[in-house]
Amino acid sequence: MGTGKAKGGMYGGMRVCIRKILKKEDEKVIIECTEITPEVEDIRAYAAGKGAEIWGTTDSRRTERFRLEDVYYFEALDEKLFAYTGEQVYEVKMRLYEAERAFERFHFVRCSKSVILNLLLLEGISPALNGRFFAHMKNGERLMISRQYAGEMKRIVMGGGNDEK
Amino acid sequence: MMRNKGWAMEFLMAFFVCSTCISFLEGVIGMVFFPAEKLGYDAFFSPLLFGFFSVALGAVTKSKRELSVKEILFRQAVHLFLIELMIFGVNYAAGLKFGVVFSVVLAVSVAVIFVTVYVVMWLNDRKSAAEFNERLKEYQSRI
Repeated sequence: MGTGKAKGGMYGGMRVCIRKILKKEDEKVIIECTEITPEVEDIRAYAAGKGAEIWGTTDSRRTERFRLEDVYYFEALDEKLFAYTGEQVYEVKMRLYEAERAFERFHFVRCSKSVILNLLLLEGISPALNGRFFAHMKNGERLMISRQYAGEMKRIVMGGGNDEK
Repeated sequence: MMRNKGWAMEFLMAFFVCSTCISFLEGVIGMVFFPAEKLGYDAFFSPLLFGFFSVALGAVTKSKRELSVKEILFRQAVHLFLIELMIFGVNYAAGLKFGVVFSVVLAVSVAVIFVTVYVVMWLNDRKSAAEFNERLKEYQSRI
């Protein structure tokens, strides 16, 4: 039990209640709604993505937890999977396809045979050669989007792919 | 299914751009080099056929593997070479013999059309990238 705080939504918006609790592991978001609309799905995806953490090993063989939302992209190199945050590169004990499935709801999407990028940290794309595109990440890095995966990325961003979860 | 649709759209676009450019080129070259020549209705099919086979030869630029920029450029050069080979080969087979000047003009014109098709495709990709970027901002602001 904790202290309760409630704010009524003005102009017909959703009411938001925040309740302080004692244990970190008991934190959760409950959405009460009459219908699961795309907006509700967005809120769910946002809440689920916030604060999600995974384990990874740094270059200096230190195992650390880091926030998924800080990962710009995952890259598979020599049968290993690496997560690139702004400051650090972590080796993650997962296969690329597992990461693709597990982090899809956190807005990670496959952009080539070896890379999964974070759509929320994507600055934009520009055309490259032969129907391929460059992905410009918000940290200035440039990745290649192969034509095979460009269509799926477009479908997610432009065709309401987020609504289909 | 979606991927096949994408390929088909891309093929059709390249085909139409290519056929249009070939029609224009045949008109200009004909007026300059063979002004007295009269052609039958069957000549209308020539840009379409050359366009179709030129785009179909683009299969050499495709690969299941992800190609590096160098590999793509090399394959595009091979594509151009195959188109030139096809055009000169067909004309030679039809019994047409060209002088050096005409051959150079034809080869350069084919290369110009080749580049034009790629530029148009790139411009189309740029438009689609701009649209994607706009929607990306909306997508990100929704989250």
